[in-house]
Formats: sequence, structure tokens, C-alpha cells
Amino acid sequence: MKRCRAGLIAAGAVLVSSLAACGGSASSGSSQPGQAANEVFTYDTTTAVMVDGWDPATEYSDGVIAMSEMYETLTHYNSATGAIEPELATSWTSADGGKTWTFNLRHGVYFHTGRPMTAQAAKAAILRTIKLAGGASYIWAAVKTIDTPDPYTLVFHLSYASPLALQASADYSAYIYDTQAAGGGNALTNWLNAGHDAGTGPYTAQTWNKNQEFEVVLKTFPKYWGGWTGTHFSKVVFRVVPQDTTAAQLLRSGQVSFIEQINSSLWSSFKGDSAISTVSSPSWQNLLAQINSQRLPVTVRQAILYAIDYNGIITALRGAGVASSGIVPPGLLGHFSDLPNYSYNQAKAATLLKQAGYGPGGKALNLSLTYTSGDSNEQVVATIIKSDLAALNVNLSVQALAWPTQWAKGKSAKAAQRQDIFLEYWWPDYADPYSWFANTLETENPPYFNLSYYSSPALDAMINQVEPLVATNKSAAEALYRSMQVTVLQQAPMVSLYNVNYQYAMLSGISGFQVNPAYPNVVFVYDLKP
Amino acid sequence: MIRYAIRRVALAIVVVAGVVILTFVIADLVPGDPAVAWAGPHASAAQLARARQHLGLDQPLPVRIGKYFGGILTGNWGTSIHTHQPVLSDIGTAAPATLELVVAALIIALVAGVPLGLAAARWPGTFLDHTIRVIAVLGVSMPIFWLALILQLVFAQRLRVLPVAGQYDPNLMFTHPLVTRTQMPVVDALLSGNWTVLGSSLRHLVLPAVVVAAYPVGVIARMTRAQVLDTLGETHVQMLRSLGFPERTVISRFAMKLAWNPVTAVLALVFAYSLVNSFLVESIFDWPGLGSYATASVETLDTPAIVGVTLFIGLVYVAANLVVDLVQAALDPRIRLQ
Amino acid sequence: MSTLLARAPGVTAVRRAARANRLITAGALIVAVIVVVAVFAPLLAPYPADAGTATHPEIALQAPSMRHLFGTDQVGRDVFSRVLYGARISPVVAFFVLLIACAIGVPLGIAAGYFGGVTDEIIMRVTDVFLAFPALLLSLAFVAVLSPSLTSVTIAIAIAWWPWYTRLIRGQAASVAGRPYVEACRTLGIPHWRILLRHVLPNSMTPLIVQVSLDAGGVILTISALSFLGLGAQDPVPEWGLMVAEGENYFTTQWWLVTYPGLAILITALAFTLLGDGLRDTLDPRRLPVR
Repeated sequence: MKRCRAGLIAAGAVLVSSLAACGGSASSGSSQPGQAANEVFTYDTTTAVMVDGWDPATEYSDGVIAMSEMYETLTHYNSATGAIEPELATSWTSADGGKTWTFNLRHGVYFHTGRPMTAQAAKAAILRTIKLAGGASYIWAAVKTIDTPDPYTLVFHLSYASPLALQASADYSAYIYDTQAAGGGNALTNWLNAGHDAGTGPYTAQTWNKNQEFEVVLKTFPKYWGGWTGTHFSKVVFRVVPQDTTAAQLLRSGQVSFIEQINSSLWSSFKGDSAISTVSSPSWQNLLAQINSQRLPVTVRQAILYAIDYNGIITALRGAGVASSGIVPPGLLGHFSDLPNYSYNQAKAATLLKQAGYGPGGKALNLSLTYTSGDSNEQVVATIIKSDLAALNVNLSVQALAWPTQWAKGKSAKAAQRQDIFLEYWWPDYADPYSWFANTLETENPPYFNLSYYSSPALDAMINQVEPLVATNKSAAEALYRSMQVTVLQQAPMVSLYNVNYQYAMLSGISGFQVNPAYPNVVFVYDLKP
Repeated sequence: MIRYAIRRVALAIVVVAGVVILTFVIADLVPGDPAVAWAGPHASAAQLARARQHLGLDQPLPVRIGKYFGGILTGNWGTSIHTHQPVLSDIGTAAPATLELVVAALIIALVAGVPLGLAAARWPGTFLDHTIRVIAVLGVSMPIFWLALILQLVFAQRLRVLPVAGQYDPNLMFTHPLVTRTQMPVVDALLSGNWTVLGSSLRHLVLPAVVVAAYPVGVIARMTRAQVLDTLGETHVQMLRSLGFPERTVISRFAMKLAWNPVTAVLALVFAYSLVNSFLVESIFDWPGLGSYATASVETLDTPAIVGVTLFIGLVYVAANLVVDLVQAALDPRIRLQ
Repeated sequence: MSTLLARAPGVTAVRRAARANRLITAGALIVAVIVVVAVFAPLLAPYPADAGTATHPEIALQAPSMRHLFGTDQVGRDVFSRVLYGARISPVVAFFVLLIACAIGVPLGIAAGYFGGVTDEIIMRVTDVFLAFPALLLSLAFVAVLSPSLTSVTIAIAIAWWPWYTRLIRGQAASVAGRPYVEACRTLGIPHWRILLRHVLPNSMTPLIVQVSLDAGGVILTISALSFLGLGAQDPVPEWGLMVAEGENYFTTQWWLVTYPGLAILITALAFTLLGDGLRDTLDPRRLPVR
């Protein structure tokens, strides 16, 4: 259940830097949390964060923003350097052409439940994640067996080669957690979903006010392996503020410290304010328009893609988006800037429509589009697309729905109830383009995220081949990603309308923030200095 | 009085029954199959049939209405689709915030509206009268959501004298935690002597309450003015004047007493209207009341929640009318004879 | 002494009539302007296409200037043109709402008042049930379960509004029905419908007209409130409430998106309320319940 965040407008991380009780900050040398400073980091969002429950195995939506504070993965992807870094694993090796992976685990790591993290515990967590088959559990699809020769070594035997160290850094379904919490089994799931966490991260759940404004409160975990020397935030609060303008005002008055995403004109208005620093950064998130391939033939789909004014959209977004090439954003394997992309060409669109009997002078074509309500960027995009299509005698009815409703409609068993164009954001599960193809283009019956309902055995075959290649023959993988994107462009089941440019705003007093597209919109609060 | 009360209560019960049926009609109008919503989009035909049976959709209409009624009376108002909680409990959580807002708005409206109406009636035709009447008519014609945005922009953002949104300063959650008993910060703060939170919540209440008060102020000022003017024109008041009573006494002792009657009558209506008007401003001020709940329900096509809120306010209104009628009848014997 | 004279009934009536005249004039004038704007919008608006599906992203969010009097919105449409075209939306919808509400409410009210007895009881109870809900709420509930559109809004508000007219007309009809000449007509064998049409209806018109014009303002506010909540007009229809909703997120930096459409709503509602006030003072000195 991803993408309910859709743009995360005005998700202001509210930094509640409260009454800083003076009290000396770090008592030298001790590993006491810097709680004397009593700094609270409040993260402001437009829609509730924990909508998918609290299970780290199946989370596939915005909950990752909170979970990234409580849970950790074996490895961590550093997008600045492109390197895979140690997290819960300190080192790893691969053998047998990428079919065997050995991870050496960190010592002295404890779960929030008090138990130490051992290889057995990690293995149990991964096996449970695989068994529940939710979220992005497909990242472990290659795993055949897991061995634990000693308490700090984890050995994976895969049925085919796969870049496992990379996959273990995923932002979904890669968390290591205590499967013994609350007695394990079903009790564990219920206990988690009541608002508890069983992770190893620096923060742990304190309260969950479901469906209320101050939705989640996290407190420090004193036994965190990273220690608490220096100044850190002592609490993390997730606050739900649906209005962009309110969030902006909260930031200005210092009640919020970090705004995740806000409409660009409000973001630009922060520029002159010395108390606020703005951060603009490219991301691996793009906005997809998925066209109903069961209902509309390929000529009509191509016509629609030619009819859209991509540059107009980017202009209207005012810096929140940049032009896409193909489906894969820059910075990832498989991105090519020289693909045969669509450009705004009304004449060509008209010709194609005419072939199907539509277009100006032909029959009127009635289509429906759905997007996620609350997202002003998507609203602007939808309005422009509607206007572009209207010039070609295509009547587009636009519907803004809350994400769960929009998604349910797209997955509706009655095909007649489904929309013709579905707008949603997508970002990768780990630093690799596989996620786009496996989730939005592979044949799905019933549909889940493939909301163009596209089914091509040829493309499915290519998708099945590509991941092992990433581990064994990178250039072959790249070539395959290229031909997949060319196919998708020709068949026109979907297009990436633009690549999202993160526009963050935060209080200028906070230092240590680094944007990491591999973990979209996640702020690693532990790394920040109040 | 007893007979009147019984008649009036019986009437209210009939209306309540009708209200419940009307909400059932609304709930029933939903296009689409509730069985699908229950069983999920991947359900097989057999599962759908079972779901239909479980939900009672295969039963005749009178039975369904009866079950709905039974559910309402026993407190089962359905489950909200977007919160996954029972609708009645959601309403219970959200209603106090709206109540706080509306009561504050009505207090402002009475404190402002009645004196304004009186002043206008005292000096009719003057510049003061015209100004007050313009203000009143503006209040009645005001788009509430627009007023909310404008006031928020001016006072909270540009002038920074009032807070932007929320019920009270979030920092206080950690430094002066509030003991919640009634879910109304002002009341809870008073009850527990938490003066910091009290001050903060009062400050946060100002803008939303003023906005919601716009319409009631207009109505109350107009009513007061009209009623007082009418009374002042009547013979017995003229007689008082000719007997030498000063104008001030005439107004305060005689005209005002009779003016309270229509104001009280309209209070129930104004209360219900303000309840609903607050829907429009709650999302603007992040006020966690029925309005925010209703807008969220609308966005998620959450029919049980929408119907629940509608039913709730309908019942509140019927109750309010009943109370007002009984109070008026107790005070004014003429009413009982109608 | 002078105060006594000033408040003598005759003087008061004259004063009332004079004031009523001013109110009617003011209200009628603004309403006339609105009607003219609505009818001649294509000629008055500098960019008529902007009220439809045209978009110009390259000039989005521009401040008011000579070229765009009220600025441009988030996709570059001229706000001034859209506000002008908005006069074709809410007032027209309000007209239909009131028409339908009268079409339902008046006959029911006449039936209840004239025939009395059981008919009266039943109709009045049903009216009570509908009146148990504030209009905005009932119409919100109806539209939320139907699909949001201006048509749904029209029907929904009409459903919420008709009971007021039933109640109003019932009183009139009941009083007329009790009059001796009506009884005389019945004795002469004149059919009911004739009596209703020639006697009851004309006598009920005056309070109805007054109430309708007083209500028009409220209906317009309800329409724009529903559109503001996303339940009424859908983009690109230039409905004022919808424009305020779309501009909400840009409001603190681009104030013109919200200010002008909101002002239009205010002025329109104000005009009808003034008109209604004036009509009431002239036509029906008995104070009607203020709503």
C-alpha cells in the first residue's frame, strides 16, 4: 500500500524545539541521551502516517517515515557516494556468482524489547517477512535458505544470483525486528498493530494517537548501539496538518522544524527568511500516469501521451518537478536521457485519434482520471491534462479521492468501475529500477499496483531476467532496462510525467540533515543536531 | 404544563423516528454494493453471497429498516471506513471539540449581538443604526470559509497576534500535560487548574469562534432590533413613556424582556446552524471536531460516518428544539395554550 | 415629546417604507448588475476561454495587473474572467433550487393547510423530520452519497429546502380556508382546485416572494459551501466556492485567488438579503421569522 503520500504536500516535519530546559547538554563521556536539552523533533505531514498498521514486514506506504526511526536494516544505501554502507551488518561478501551471501552482524545491538540481536533473530525476522508476503517482500524472492553458523554470521543461499546487499538496504520489508516480542505468532502482529515496535533503531514508540493530529510520539531508546554522545533530539513527533498554508505558518512561528513537501510558491516564500533554510534536491520519485490498457487501444494511448504538455506541467510546478526520460529517474542504473520520449504534439495526437474515429471532427471520447486529494501538485497536473485533452475533443472527468479510496477504485473487481488514467507517485524499494517494472508493469491478476492493467508476456519475461543480471552482468542489465523502457514507450501503458524535486524547508538552527533519495522523505533524526 | 410537555415529547419522538428513517434512506442510496466493500475486491461469488447474507442485504426492506433502528438504539451506528472504529465512538471523540467551538461562538454572538440590536433599536435611523444593520446583514451573508481564511491570514500570519491553528500550543503537551476528561481543552484545563493550557486554548479559540459567530451575531442582532422596535411601537410602552419613564428604563425593563423570547426561539436553530457551519472552518484551523471528521469522511466516501454525523446532528437539533420549547412554555403560559 | 411623535405608528410606517425603498433599490441594483454580468459574461470577460478548459501554465500565479485585473490562478487562468463567469453558476443554480423547492413545497403546504386533518398531520410531521436537519448538513449528506456535481447539489439543496415553504404556505392556506367566502364557494359547488387556484394561491404569494428572496442569499452560500468542500462544481467550472477551495493552499502567497471569488459570494448573498429585507418591509409588515 504505497503512494498514499502522493506528494506529501506540506508534510512539515514539525520540529518542536520546546522549552529547552537549559541543563547542561552532554555530560562528557557518558552515554546518556542528550535528554537534558529536551529537544523534540516534530515531523508534519498532510495525511496520517501509520495507515498501514505497524508491522515492519508488510509496511508499504508512508509509515516508512516513522519506521525508519525505530527500525534498521542490514545495510544502508548512501546515495551521495553510491555506496552500500554497514548498518546492522558490519561487512559482507558474496560468492558463487552472487548466489551466496555472507553477512557479519554488529555486536552489542539490542532490540527495544531488551533481547540482543543475533543472527538467529535476524533470520527469524527475514523469514517472517517472506512468509507474510506483503510490502516489498519480493526483495527476498531469490532466498532459498538462510544459515546461522554462529550468533553473528548470516549466510544466504539464493536460487539465482541477486544483488542481496543492495536489496537488504531497502526502505521496505528489510527491517530486522524481534519476532519473539509479545510471544510471537499472531500475538506479535496484534501487539505491533496496537502501536508498538520491536526494532533496533535509536527511537522507540511512546504513544500512538490514531487518527489524531499528533499521531505518533517516539522517545529515545537508551541502549541504542550508536550511543547518545553529543546533542540529539530526545523525542520525535509526527503531526498531521492537512493545509499547506497552516504548515507554513507553523514553520515560520517555530512550532515546526521540518516541512517535508509544500507547494512551490509557499516554499519559495521561505527564501528570504533567515530563520528557515530551504533544501532543494532531486529524488528518485516520479509521478506516473497509468492508462487503462484493457479499455483503450494502443493508438489511443499513444495519442493521449502526445497530447500532454509536459513542459507546461513542469512550468506550472515551479521547481517541484523536472522533465523525465523514460521511467527510471537519473541516479539509478537504467536511466537513459536519450530515449524516444513523448513530447507535446497535438497534431500527431489528433492523427492518432482519428485512426480510432475520435479527435476533433470525430466522436467525442469520454475518459476519467483519478488522483490523490490533498495534493496541489497533482491537482495542477490533472487540470492541465484535462485542458490538453479538451482541445482534442476528449472529455476528461477528473476525480480527486483520498488515497485508499482511489486505490480501491483502481483495484475494483468490476472493470467498468475503474478509471482510465491513474495518477500516482512511485519510488524504488531499493536503489534499483526493478521496483517500477515488477510492481507497475508486470502482469497482475487481480491488479495491485499495475493500474494500467497492462499485460505483456514479452515484458514479463524481460522483467524476470533482469535482476539476476544486476548481480552478475551490469551492462547486460542496463541494456535490458533500456529495451524495457523502449517497449513501454512504444506500447504506452504509462508515462512518467515528471521527476519530483524535493523541496524541503526546515529551521536553520538544525544541522546534519542530508537528503537521501533511497529513503524518500525520511529524516534520520538521530543524525540531526538541534 | 405537564400535558404540553407530554405532547411535545411525543412529537419529538415521532420526529426522531422519521429522522432515523431518513438517514437510512440516505445510507441506502449509496451506489455500489456494500457486500463488495465488506468482502473485498477479490471476493468470489460465493463469498459475496455470504457477505450479503451477513450484512442482511438479502432481507426485505422493512426488516432492514427494523435492524437499522435496532442498531441505532443499541449504539451500533456502523463502522467508519476510514478510521476503522465504530462511528459512534468516533463521534464521541470528535463532538466535544465542536461543542467547545460552537458554545464559544454563541457566547460571543449573544454578548455582541444583543447589545448591538438594542443599540440599533434605541436610536433607529441614526448612523449607528445603519452601521449595525450593515454589520448584521454582512454577518448573515458571509461565506464562512472565506472569512476564516481572511482572518487567519490577517491575524495569524501577517500580524502574528493570534495562533494559526490547533486547539492549544503543542509544546505544552510535554511541559504541562493536560489531563483529558471531557476532551474539551478549555474545560479540562479549568477542571485541573492548568492555567497555562487554559490561556493557550483560549487564545486558540478566538479566531475560529469569531468566524463561526459571524452568522449568529447577524441573526441575533437583527432579531433583537426587530423585536425591540416592534415592542417600542406598542401602546403600552408608549403609555410608559407618557408617564415619564426615561427611555433607558423603558428599554431595559420592558422591551428587553419581551425581546428575549424570539431570541431564545431562534437560539436552537442558530445552534444547529453553527454546528454545521463549523464544518467549514475546522479543517482551516486544524480543529479536531465533527467538521474535520465529516470532511475526512466525505473525501474517503465513508458513508457510515457521513450518515452517523448527519443523524447525530439531527438528533441534537431535535433535542435542542425540545428543550427550548419546554423552557419557553414554562416561562410564557400563552405558548402552552396553542 | 418629540420622541413620542417620532415613534407614532404613522411615522414609523412611512419611515419603514422609505427605508425599504432604499433597501430594495440597493439590493435590486446589485442583483441587476449580477444578472447583466451573467448574461454578458462572454463579452465582458477579457479571456472567456479561461472559464472553460484553457490553461496557460507559463503565466501561472501572477499578481493582479492591468492585463489580468484579478491575477491568474495556479494554471494561468484569468481570475477576473472566471469570477465574471461565476455569476452564471451559483445564482442560476440557486434559481433552480428555489424553483424545485417551491414546486415541491407549495403544493404540499396548500394541501396541508386547506384540507387540514390527517393530511395536515402527515405532511407536517414529514416537514418536521426534514426540518430537523440544517440545510447544509442534509444536502451534504445527500450529495456525498450521490456523485458530486452541480446537478446533485441542486437536487440535494432543494430536498433540504422545500419544508420551509410548506410550513409557510400551510399557514396561509389554513387561514384562507377558514374564511367565510371560501365556505360559500364550497356550498356553491365550486371545485377545490378552482378555490385553491383563485383564492388560496394568490393570497400566499406575497409572503412566498419575500421568503424566496430572503432565502436566495442562503442558498447561494450553501451552494458555494458545498463546492468548497468538493461536493459541488468540479474543475474547470468557475464556481466561486470551488475557486476559493482551489486557491486555499496558495492563499498566503497569492491572496487574489481566494479574495475575489469570496467577495463575489459575499456581494451576491448580500444583494439578495437586502432585496429580501426591502421586499418584506414593503409587502408584509408582519415580521416573518428571520433566518
